[in-house]
Amino acid sequence: MTEDLISQIMENVIQGRVTRDDEGLDEGIVGQPGVSELVQEAIASGIKIEDIINQGLTKGMEVVGKKFEAKEYFIPDMLASAEAVGAGMEILEPHLTKSGIKSKGKIIVATVKGDLHDIGKNIVSILLRGAGYTVKDLGNDVDTQTIVAAVREEKPQFVGLSALLTSTMTNMGDVIQALGDNGLRDKVKVVIGGAPVSAEFAQSIGADGYGADGFKAVAVIESLASA
Amino acid sequence: MLATRNPIDIGLNIQQVLKTIGYHGNCTPPARTMSLVDEYLENFHNLVEPAYSYVIRDVEWVQGPISFIRDAVIFKSQVIARLLEQCQKVVVFAVTIGNHLEEMVNQLAEDGLILQATVLDAIGSSAVEKLAEFVETSIREASGAQDLSTSRRFSPGYCDWNIGQQRMLFWALNGDTADIRLTRTCLMIPQKSISGIIGIGPGNSALESYNPCRTCKKRHCPGRR
Repeated sequence: MTEDLISQIMENVIQGRVTRDDEGLDEGIVGQPGVSELVQEAIASGIKIEDIINQGLTKGMEVVGKKFEAKEYFIPDMLASAEAVGAGMEILEPHLTKSGIKSKGKIIVATVKGDLHDIGKNIVSILLRGAGYTVKDLGNDVDTQTIVAAVREEKPQFVGLSALLTSTMTNMGDVIQALGDNGLRDKVKVVIGGAPVSAEFAQSIGADGYGADGFKAVAVIESLASA
Repeated sequence: MLATRNPIDIGLNIQQVLKTIGYHGNCTPPARTMSLVDEYLENFHNLVEPAYSYVIRDVEWVQGPISFIRDAVIFKSQVIARLLEQCQKVVVFAVTIGNHLEEMVNQLAEDGLILQATVLDAIGSSAVEKLAEFVETSIREASGAQDLSTSRRFSPGYCDWNIGQQRMLFWALNGDTADIRLTRTCLMIPQKSISGIIGIGPGNSALESYNPCRTCKKRHCPGRR
């Protein structure tokens, strides 16, 4: 029963189904419970919250990540799965503290000053929440001092910066510089992403990591967390 | 000068939108994605208010990276200077589909519906691109009728043309900016807007094929053409 429910959660993450009304990638599954219903059922059945997250949601998303890398999945397929994980995590949220589940770490994410694009940042945020991190999203067009103040106040382990424009990506370097000027650089790891950004650029501004896409961003943060 | 808010039928096809959201080549998107894109394509017209404005000005002189346009409009960019030294006139334009669509995108994202937000955002990007193409084609046809050539579009924020030059470009529009405003960092609001210039020069000139990307070393530039 337990294993069956958990594997159904995993399967429905892979299918990208939030509720029973959603279509999946395979035909003929509309009407069967989606991630929301299955997570609720799993909680009611007394299944450990940790198992729902690790064996159901996260494992499902790992499969999606592999399919995305193998180009079997495209961005919309990945997003549907990310939405399903987000919906599952929202239901689990009130149970996390009670179950003694600790966050893997806190991450502040922001689209840098001058840049209004935030869909990429939102995707990364969902993937990070699904992977067990606490995410504080500062939004878009966030100026450097606001990010510095948030780092001082929230004491995160990571800062994730996003930019979609060549004209604003340089502001990422300003944030890293300002973190240093305020004595905070050695307290956080900074990971950057966005269409015009590259590993070389990340290195040139002194970032700790670069995520070419949402999954790679999570992988970089996981590897920095365990380093 | 021509500024208009007349209804323009922005026809989008599904392939264009699918390409924008990442499907390429011969891959077939799942039925779920197809029906979502179909549904939004049927209804997106209610969310867009196409508007555009453009002005045609004389190019007075070009020296180094400076292009001096009539009425003290100055563009600073080597790439733009190389374009405008081949031109007698320059069209300065701005187009937008308004802000309703992006308000809906933001609402969907806030509700956690990232897939829907991404699809609608892609439709908005395709729509504003189509509107810019419409303006470009109108200018090309009008110029062609006078035996003149036109260049492709160039926008501040690409190549060596600093985004700060948006202010000069908007000033050149004589205040009719199709209700687009600039943020302090020179981004356009509504976001689904495109501004730029198109050069006009003698017929059959090399102007039409002028493409600085061919000699640019930034192979991974997202604006590469």
